[in-house]
Amino acid sequence: MRQEVEYVQGFWNPYVAGIALGLVLLLTFYLMGAGLGASGAVARTAAVVAHGVAPQAVEHNGYFSEFYKAGAKNPLTNWIVFEVIGVFLGGIVAVLTARRFRPGVGKGPHASTGLRLSLALGGGVLAGIGTRFALGCTSGQALSGGATLAVGSWVFMMAVFGAAFGAAYFVRREWS
Amino acid sequence: MTGPLYMQGVFGFQASLLVAVAIGFLFGFVLERAGFGDSRVLTSIFYFRDMRVLRVMFSAMVTCAVGIVVLKWAGLFDYTMMLDYSLLQTYLWPQLVGGILFGLGFVIGGYCPGTAVVGVASGKLDSVVFLGGMTVGIWVFAAGFPLWGSFYKSSALGRISLPQIFGLPMEVVTAAVVVMALAAFWLAGLGEKWAPYDK
Repeated sequence: MRQEVEYVQGFWNPYVAGIALGLVLLLTFYLMGAGLGASGAVARTAAVVAHGVAPQAVEHNGYFSEFYKAGAKNPLTNWIVFEVIGVFLGGIVAVLTARRFRPGVGKGPHASTGLRLSLALGGGVLAGIGTRFALGCTSGQALSGGATLAVGSWVFMMAVFGAAFGAAYFVRREWS
Repeated sequence: MTGPLYMQGVFGFQASLLVAVAIGFLFGFVLERAGFGDSRVLTSIFYFRDMRVLRVMFSAMVTCAVGIVVLKWAGLFDYTMMLDYSLLQTYLWPQLVGGILFGLGFVIGGYCPGTAVVGVASGKLDSVVFLGGMTVGIWVFAAGFPLWGSFYKSSALGRISLPQIFGLPMEVVTAAVVVMALAAFWLAGLGEKWAPYDK
């Protein structure tokens, strides 16, 4: 048997967690007609921050201008932004009730913190660009689009896992 | 009542924002309990150390897909309405390229956006940095929009589903996804025994 490391203790059985997650997703479709998401909230926040610095440039930017059409609401007055606020609150309650709040950096036991944080930044940049081309992320595209059998979501899912398994070898020191 | 309730006009925009916080709360809670607030758990799948991510994702997808079939049969869900008005639209090539970039970002950065938010709630500094990187990435995308804006909108196939492509009833495709998930669960166990990075 593989030895369980400290940080994997106390989580739900993965199939139980998966069924629970699936029921939350089903409830979302029943209530809203659309699924869960996350990256849209980051994109809207990025637009609002940029707008605070350079309002003219953002309102005329080919991508950001869709958040600033005439008569449109504040980009943050949006379903996905409120949903992600809920994700944060739900995460905090789950962490505190499980007594699992441990400040730190998640990395392989032999990786340095500097390496890990640089790659977290670089990976974040790539993921951020990727979500804009794909119009979503693991929750919005892979999970929600996958469950409703949307063609592009399945293409996205295969591309994500194909690329990640393929690239894993090259960053193995980060996680070993 | 027949869903989707919001699209049927059962409640309005302001109520939908309260629904959003409540749904998000459940989503975040389950993600944390699944172990997804930690980049080590999330990336273990790519090294065949712990295939938890595959098990959770696939069982969630199957639960929801089967649930939609059941609700549709029970007359509680207007599936056609979803297909016509809210199914995610397909942009074939941008989604393939976006998926590759996102997959690289996932294994290098250690998170995806939703799990990074739970990582922040768990006190993980790497998730804060990842979200900062994502913000920069979105600025890069917006700055370069004149270069790739036409590609971004290309190969638009509209709201198209796998059942429509294969010319099969959605129930049959859903059953095929269930079989695929069971096969993936079996292969996940084999992958963990293989453990190619931990010899």
